[in-house]
Amino acid sequence: MQELPLNESPLLGESHPRGGRSRARPVASWREHHGWSALASLRRLMSRPVGTLLTVAVMAIALALPLTFYLLLGNVQKMGEALGQNQTVSVFLQPTQGGSAAELTAKKLRDRAEVASVTVRTPQQGLDELARMQGFSGALHTLDSNPLPYVLEVLPRPDAGADAVERLVADMRGMQGVDQVQDGGAWRQRLEALLGVGRRAVLVLAALLVIAVLLVVGNTVRVDIAGRSEEIGVLMLVGASRAFVRRPYLYAGIWYGLFSGLLAVGFAVLVELALAEPVARLGQVYAGKLQVDVLPPWLLAAVPVAAAVLGWLGARLVSAWQLRKVA
Amino acid sequence: MIRFDQVSKRYEGGHEALSQLSFEVGGGEMAFVTGHSGAGKSTLLKLLGLIERPSHGVITLDGQNLAKVGRGGIPKLRRRLGMVFQDHRLLMDRTVFANVELPLMIAGTAPNERAKRVRAALEKVGLLAYERQLPATLSAGEQQRVGIARAIVAKPMLLVADEPTGNLDPTLAVEIMGLFAEFQQVGTTVLVASHDLPLIKRMKKRVIVLDHGRLVADVAAEEVL
Repeated sequence: MQELPLNESPLLGESHPRGGRSRARPVASWREHHGWSALASLRRLMSRPVGTLLTVAVMAIALALPLTFYLLLGNVQKMGEALGQNQTVSVFLQPTQGGSAAELTAKKLRDRAEVASVTVRTPQQGLDELARMQGFSGALHTLDSNPLPYVLEVLPRPDAGADAVERLVADMRGMQGVDQVQDGGAWRQRLEALLGVGRRAVLVLAALLVIAVLLVVGNTVRVDIAGRSEEIGVLMLVGASRAFVRRPYLYAGIWYGLFSGLLAVGFAVLVELALAEPVARLGQVYAGKLQVDVLPPWLLAAVPVAAAVLGWLGARLVSAWQLRKVA
Repeated sequence: MIRFDQVSKRYEGGHEALSQLSFEVGGGEMAFVTGHSGAGKSTLLKLLGLIERPSHGVITLDGQNLAKVGRGGIPKLRRRLGMVFQDHRLLMDRTVFANVELPLMIAGTAPNERAKRVRAALEKVGLLAYERQLPATLSAGEQQRVGIARAIVAKPMLLVADEPTGNLDPTLAVEIMGLFAEFQQVGTTVLVASHDLPLIKRMKKRVIVLDHGRLVADVAAEEVL
């Protein structure tokens, strides 16, 4: 300190008639203030950890909800697809119909354009299948004769429309010797429609929760600004621009967003892990056709980024409005 | 440097704080503005810092008509002023050094240059040893001197002080006023609002006397007895 050239101190030297702004380094000073604002706002958040954690947790839950629903929806859809792979229509013939009659009906059906294949299952095959299922074998021994009918498994062409399949089902119901027709396609369509509702619901929910995140960030920044109105007043009096005053609050918004996004991804991964085991068990039931649908890595990476943008936006909206009141 | 031309300020509610006030202060001059409380001293200073706008009349500062300075131009204008307040308006959660550094941060001065100037300003007000302390640990007089260091650190064209000795005991008050006189000696224009007449008389500077918002006397430095 002693080596300072006090006698020719910069204060007592020539006075700057146009003030002290160093125009030669606007970019450097701008970058410097951004760095300072980012760090200062981070330090402020860390200086009251409980409040920060609560805000971040609320935001993270709001973000994790649509993610979780998206995950569930993806799994239900996968399940629907897995079931849809054998979307056969089962035609139960009357018990009086013998093997030759069954073959004849099968041939008739094979001739139709919308039918891909027809498999004839004999009563013996049906009985064997039942016998393989636990708990039935004992009961089956008590039967004198096979009570099961011939069953035709009709697989419509994948490109056949829902209308054509419906017509086919109606025609088969009217055919001679047919007892019952079980169409799995109907519930598949219902599932498809339900999934459509679900997808729309996730979108609406996500939009609502995005607004909730904006409100939470906005309110937190609002309280922060209100609590620091004195400091802001002083900054304005010594010549700070609005952008300068606002910068630390915008960074606070970015930090809130980023942290809550990361936490939300953490929540979603926990849900994924919790779902993995029961879904895998469900998959075994469906002979390994079902695989757990996980959130794609790009989405997990995008959530914190999007949340940071949201935080910035919330802080920006509120600070613009709040600072107008201060000065 | 400062020119008031028929300036009036009427606050909402009808109170007229200044009425048809005209005077000029030249560059490098030091002047006191005095009068009873409510005479309009603070309003006059607020108009210079664009904290308030006049209802009528024209204020020119360094050749610039303040009416033409828009919202966006206010920060730029304030960077060229050094303002000292009776309650010093320091940031209590930042060190003395950080408080004085503030105008330079805002101006975008390079860090090493900032440190040099902050230390020079603190040296000038005799507080170099306190740079790492928080303002709350300092006495009222010392806090006021931090406020002065902050006001002068960016080399303002005009130094404006509103009752800077209002809370200080007489010895400290004399010391602070002496500081302002020193800044005038190096070319800064200084305008100090104060109601402390004995102190003003001691300083032997120009005195502008207001009463109910009107100019009632303008005493040149040589005529102050």
